[in-house]
Amino acid sequence: MDWKTLARELTDPSKSKEKPEALDDLVVIDISYGNFAGLFASSLLSELGAKVIRVEPPEGDIARKMTPYGLEIDGTGLPYIVEGRNKYHITLNIEKEEGKEIFIRLIRKADILIETFPTGKMEKLGLGWDTLKRENGRLIMCSIKTFGERGYYAENEKVPDAIGTDVVDQARSGFAWTVGIPEEYDEFPEHTRVPTRMGNWMAHYAGGAIAAFAIMCSVLYRNITGEGQKIDISPAEALMAMNNYALQCYHLTGRVINRVANFEPAAYAYNYFRTKDGLVFIAGYADPNWKALCTIINRPDLIEKYPTIKDRTNPDNFIPMTREIESVIINYTRKEVVKMWLEYDGPGVTVAGEILKPKETLQFNHWFERGALIRVKDKELGDLILQGVAAKMSKTPPRIKWICRKPGEDNEFFYLTLLNIDKEELKKLEEENII
Amino acid sequence: MGAEVIHIEMPGSGDLLIRAVSPGGIFPRNLGLGAVAPNVNKYHVAIDIRHPKGKRIIQELVSISDVLVENFKPGTFDSWGIGYRDLSKINKKLVYISLSGFGNWGELSDRPSYDAYAQGITGLAEITGFKEAMPLKAQAWIGDFLSGTVGAFLVAVALHYRNKAGEGQFIDLSQSEVLIRVMDWTWLYIHLTGKERERTGNRDYATVPSLITKAKDGFIAIGAFEKREFIGLCKATGIEELSKYEDYTERLKNADRIYELIEEWAREKKIEEIEELAVKYGFMVGRVMNSRDIYHDPHYLSRKSVFFYNDPIYGNLVQPNPLSSLEKTPAIVRWTVRPVGIDNEHVLSRILGYTQSEIEELYKEGVIGK
Repeated sequence: MDWKTLARELTDPSKSKEKPEALDDLVVIDISYGNFAGLFASSLLSELGAKVIRVEPPEGDIARKMTPYGLEIDGTGLPYIVEGRNKYHITLNIEKEEGKEIFIRLIRKADILIETFPTGKMEKLGLGWDTLKRENGRLIMCSIKTFGERGYYAENEKVPDAIGTDVVDQARSGFAWTVGIPEEYDEFPEHTRVPTRMGNWMAHYAGGAIAAFAIMCSVLYRNITGEGQKIDISPAEALMAMNNYALQCYHLTGRVINRVANFEPAAYAYNYFRTKDGLVFIAGYADPNWKALCTIINRPDLIEKYPTIKDRTNPDNFIPMTREIESVIINYTRKEVVKMWLEYDGPGVTVAGEILKPKETLQFNHWFERGALIRVKDKELGDLILQGVAAKMSKTPPRIKWICRKPGEDNEFFYLTLLNIDKEELKKLEEENII
Repeated sequence: MGAEVIHIEMPGSGDLLIRAVSPGGIFPRNLGLGAVAPNVNKYHVAIDIRHPKGKRIIQELVSISDVLVENFKPGTFDSWGIGYRDLSKINKKLVYISLSGFGNWGELSDRPSYDAYAQGITGLAEITGFKEAMPLKAQAWIGDFLSGTVGAFLVAVALHYRNKAGEGQFIDLSQSEVLIRVMDWTWLYIHLTGKERERTGNRDYATVPSLITKAKDGFIAIGAFEKREFIGLCKATGIEELSKYEDYTERLKNADRIYELIEEWAREKKIEEIEELAVKYGFMVGRVMNSRDIYHDPHYLSRKSVFFYNDPIYGNLVQPNPLSSLEKTPAIVRWTVRPVGIDNEHVLSRILGYTQSEIEELYKEGVIGK
C-alpha cells in the first residue's frame, strides 16, 4: 500500500467515532471569563475526550458577546460558537457564598481548572490556589492572564483590574512591533505604516495552545507523583516565544527587529509580491534559486545587482528589489504568475503560490475532506461551516461531538448527577440567582 | 520541560535550512539566529539516515525512545523504510508525529511547506493589516511555532493515552490546518453572511473597544470590553459621547465612532499616563513593546519569562520562556543549538552502547559526522 493511502486509512476522520478518546479520564472545569485563550485551551482538551464543564455566570460569559459587527445566533456570538465544542455548559455565581461552596464541591471532582479572571480576583473571592489545593491535592490549576499571577507588576499594583484582551497581549508580546509596513515604504498611506495586530486573536490562540501543553505536561507529572500544581500562563509571553529570534537578536547584536511588511529579515526572496489581482508568495533565496527567479522574470540584471545572500538580506534592498520584481509581475494575475513558475525547468529551485482570500480558501475540498473545516447542521444553530479539528491521530483522533450550548443548558444533568443536588434545591438556587 | 531530546541532522552541513538562516546574514558568536530560537536543551547528533547503517542507528534509537518528530515531505520516511509502519513494529509504544505543510494525504499534500505560504493560502494574511494597504503576514514563522506547540500538546496527549493503553500512535499535523483552526470567527462569518472577512487594521470589530492606537510617545493597546471596564474607560477619558455606548451590542454597531473618539484622545496622551489611568479606572492596556523593551521589562525579568542562562558553549544568552511559571515543573533553559554532531559520542556510546572502534568506523564510512 502506498504511504498516502495508508496514512489516510490510519487517520480517516470519518472513522473517528469508532475509536477511543485519549483524555476520557480527565474532568476539566473551565471558568474562564471573556477570554479565548482559556476557551481554546479547553477546546483542545475537549476535542480529545476530556469532560469539559464550562462554568459561566448566570447571565452567560461575556465572551458570548464578542462577535463581529454584533452578529449572533440565538444570543451567542460567532467566536464563542466555534469554541463551545463538546463542552457541558453550566452556570454558577461564584461571587455568592453558596456559589463558592458549590464551586469547591466541583473542584473536588475535577482534575483541571482553567481560569482567566483579573489578576488576584480568585484570591479575593477566597478561591485562590492555596484554598483549592487543600480541597484537592491532585488539582492542576491553570491561570491565564495578560500579566500572569505573579511578578513585578502584580507585586507593585500595576496590573489593571480587568480581563485579558488579545490585542494587549499582542502588543506586550513584541509581535505587533514586528508586524506591519515600515515608515519608508511610502507607496502605502501613512496611517497604515504602523505596528499592526494580527487579524485573528493570535495571542489568545497561542496562549491557549501553550496552556493546553502545560496542562498535559502537568497531567503526565501528576501520573508519576500524584501531585497537582499551579500553572501561570500569559498569552503575551506565549506569543513572545513565537516571535522568532527577536529577543536573542537584541541580546547578541543590540539590534531591534522592526516591522518589514511582507519581507523576511533572514532571506530574500521569501516574501509576498503584488500582482494584477492580489499577492503571490515567491521563494528563491540561495544563490542558484535567486538566479532561477530572475531568469523566470527575464531580469538577469538583478542577478548582477544583488549577487549574494548578504546583498539580498540587507533591509535597505528589500523595497528596491521588490519594486523591480513587481514591475514585471504586476502585469499578470496570480494564476499566471504561478503558471510561469511551474513552467520553469532550469537549474535552481524557486516556488510561487497564491495568497488567497478566506473565501477562496474555502474552495479547496482538501480542508473538508481532512476535517479541518466542517459543514454541520445543528438543531439549534442551523447550517454552519466552521473549524473542525486540526490534528489527525491514528488511535485516539480528536473529534467534534456537539457544537455549542446555551448558558446553563447542562445545569440539571450536572447538578443532579455529579453533585447530587436535588430538583427542589436546584430550583431554589436558580431563584437566588446562584445558578 | 525535561524530555531528553536527540536532534538528528545530516553530517557536515547539519540542518542547513535552519542553521544558515539569520537576519542580515550575520552570525554573532557563530550562531545562526534562526537556529537559536527553536533549539533548546537538545543533544545534536549527525547521522546520514539514508545510509543502511544510519538507518540501523535510527531503528536502535527508536526502539528505546518514546517519541519521533519529523517534518520531511509526507512519505519520505516511509520510502526510506523508517516510516510509521516500520517503526511502530520496532516499538509499538512509539508516538510518531509528522509535521507538514498540508498533511500526509489529500489533494494539497504534495505542495511545498513554507510558513509564509501557509499564512497566505489559509487567508490569515488576507485578514491582517489595513484594507487600504495590503494583506500582511506575521514576520515570525507563526505557522511553524504555533503548530509546533500544538504538536507538543498532542504528543503529551498521546503519551498519556500510551500510559493507559500501552500503545503509541501516528499523528499527522499540518501547519495550514492549525492556522485555519485559529482564525476565530472567519469561517462562520463568511458562511453566514456570504461576505468576505475584511482587513480592519488595528481595530477589532468583534470586541469593541479593543485596538492599537498612537499615543504621544509610541503605540499602545487598549481593551475595555466588559461593561465595568468600559465605564472605567469613559471616566478615564472624560469623553461624554462614549458613555452612550455602554450596551455591548450598541458598541459593536457603533464601533467606528467609538474608535475615532478613543484614537483622538490617545494621541494627546503619553503612554505612561494611559497606563496609570488603566490601573486607576480598571481597563486593560499594554504598550506595543519591541525586543529592547521586553529585554529590560522588570515584569518579564521577575517572572523569568525573559530567561537568561549561561550556555556552556556560547556564554550568556537569553530565551523567551512562556513556561517559566509552573509551580512544580517550570521550564528551564540550559543550552541552545550546539555544533553539528557534537553529541555523537554521548548518544552512540553512552545511550546505545557502541564501542570506540565501532564509532570510528562509522565516522570513516560517513554514516556519522560533525
